[in-house]
Amino acid sequence: MKNYSKITPEGTRDILLGECRARREVEKRLSGIFSLRGYHEVMTPGLEYYDVFRLSGAALPQQEMYKTTDNHGRLLAVRPDSTLPIARMAASRLQSSLRPLRLFYSQQIYRNRPDLSGRSDECTQMGIELLGASGLRADLEAVSLAVEALSACVKDFRIEIGHAKLFPVLANRLALPEEKREELREAIESKNYGMLSALLDPLGDDPAVEAIRRLPRLFGGEEVLREAERWCTGEESRELLGSLKTLYASLKELGLGERLMVDLGLVQARDYYTGVVFSAYVQEVGDAVLSGGRYDELCGKFGMPMPAVGFAMDLDAAAALLPDFPGETEQPEILVYGEAGFEIQAQKLAASLVSQGTACVCSVFDTWEESIEYAKKTGISRVFSVGEATRKLNIGKGETP
Amino acid sequence: MRPLRMALTKGRLEKSTVALLENTGMNCESLREKGRRLILPVSGGTENPAKLQVVLSKAPDVLTYVEHGVCELGVVGKDVIQEHGGRFFEILDLGFGKCGFALACPKGTDFFHGYQSKTVATKYPNVARRFFESKAMDVRIIKIEGSVELAPLLGLADGIVDIVETGATLRENGLEVVERISEISARLIVNPAAMKLRKREIEELAARLEQEGKREEAVT
Repeated sequence: MKNYSKITPEGTRDILLGECRARREVEKRLSGIFSLRGYHEVMTPGLEYYDVFRLSGAALPQQEMYKTTDNHGRLLAVRPDSTLPIARMAASRLQSSLRPLRLFYSQQIYRNRPDLSGRSDECTQMGIELLGASGLRADLEAVSLAVEALSACVKDFRIEIGHAKLFPVLANRLALPEEKREELREAIESKNYGMLSALLDPLGDDPAVEAIRRLPRLFGGEEVLREAERWCTGEESRELLGSLKTLYASLKELGLGERLMVDLGLVQARDYYTGVVFSAYVQEVGDAVLSGGRYDELCGKFGMPMPAVGFAMDLDAAAALLPDFPGETEQPEILVYGEAGFEIQAQKLAASLVSQGTACVCSVFDTWEESIEYAKKTGISRVFSVGEATRKLNIGKGETP
Repeated sequence: MRPLRMALTKGRLEKSTVALLENTGMNCESLREKGRRLILPVSGGTENPAKLQVVLSKAPDVLTYVEHGVCELGVVGKDVIQEHGGRFFEILDLGFGKCGFALACPKGTDFFHGYQSKTVATKYPNVARRFFESKAMDVRIIKIEGSVELAPLLGLADGIVDIVETGATLRENGLEVVERISEISARLIVNPAAMKLRKREIEELAARLEQEGKREEAVT
């Protein structure tokens, strides 16, 4: 049998040294921001019952989930998403807590991706969920927190907002069979103008048809919202646009002006979003680095209806983008060598240096010469020897033994 | 910021794309005499000051480059998109490279007859699988890399799913089309993040290509 003991599974990777430090740094900055904004950290299990991710209207595609069974033969999924488990948790264990709930998390999710696409099966996401609050204040809090989080780790980004309900509201007016509606959605999602026309042309000249025809082109600056108002004449769609307009104006006032975009063609499949949706893009990264939105119906599916909004940031991408962060690990300042019989004293000296805030490492070599050699190779500037007498050598200043 | 980068499918679509770009006033000399270079600069004249970097690659790689955002744009056949899928915007039907997917089987045989499950040879297993799924048929699919028409002749398969242009190759090998599956032509695809970040440039380019394509169509 082929032996795979020396490599990691496809879609996974080791995260080493500098990469690890960059990632921890992002985590530190973000958890600092989230905590100061009143969010509390939670963790959900790596394994959940499969049912959590198969709720009607919020189901993840089954082929993307890693599955296993428990010892009763019940189907489990390796966490493919963090929002669903947190909604479960909020609707069950935290159901009697005071609302709103402000929660944040930093954990891995696992998705079975098609072979060799270059995407990771294992992603670390860090995000927030604001549960039990609706309206402009809550949306504004989520988006501006997303902006704070992005500003802390990437230099330049654009954030775009849209509304998950706009397409369903328009499509409902056409009374289409489920399949046709899905085809329409796909055409809008992939901005496939040709296919969209082919699908819409036979449907006559209902105003909703004209509005849907324009959805994929309706992205850009503030003018998009004005343009959309010309096409979306229904009361419901007007209301949605109104709420987006208010949000846009508020975000602009927050100083987001140039970085803010609108995309009314954001119509993702199989997601649980019901209101404003947003994602952030960075130059040279082909995917959104942050995405989120309002999901008011999700907690209800777990038996405790409450409105909610949240976002998740791709920590791997953020760590790779961290500006001016030294990738290499720094070396400790001092190497402590204990002569034969003085090993314990060497450890004591190291401990006392560390307690004073000096980074130091103990030599595991048998001789003073080997220890000096090691210090030179690794760039440790000073070497201390503990014995009958203590020797100190400053290689950094050019001293030789 | 570097110029927009466009991944272009080598071979059949290459010629038509170069012609289209030239018709919009871009100087494509570097593409005609490319030598061994892999990234080729293309720029417009006074009328069309646009600049592009063109990358010539195999069709499925066009999708990969655009999906990962290392190329903002790509020109690729709908056949490749249908077979491989991916996350990108498909904003323009360029109108050339027209052909279609079809199910074909030896003349005189009835592919849909009988209860025995059928075997189909194809270079496009995903297209074939989706087609038979939509018919709720269980079919054994065998992937073939070269001349798919050979498989039914050798008795390996009951039929084939393949690209059909004129149908001449099929006729020569005693095959006939049973059902057309979908129509194919060259498409302009765009990376979603790039579409957001460089909207104006991309829309201008797409509009120019669309306009020129339509003019061409009107002439012929």
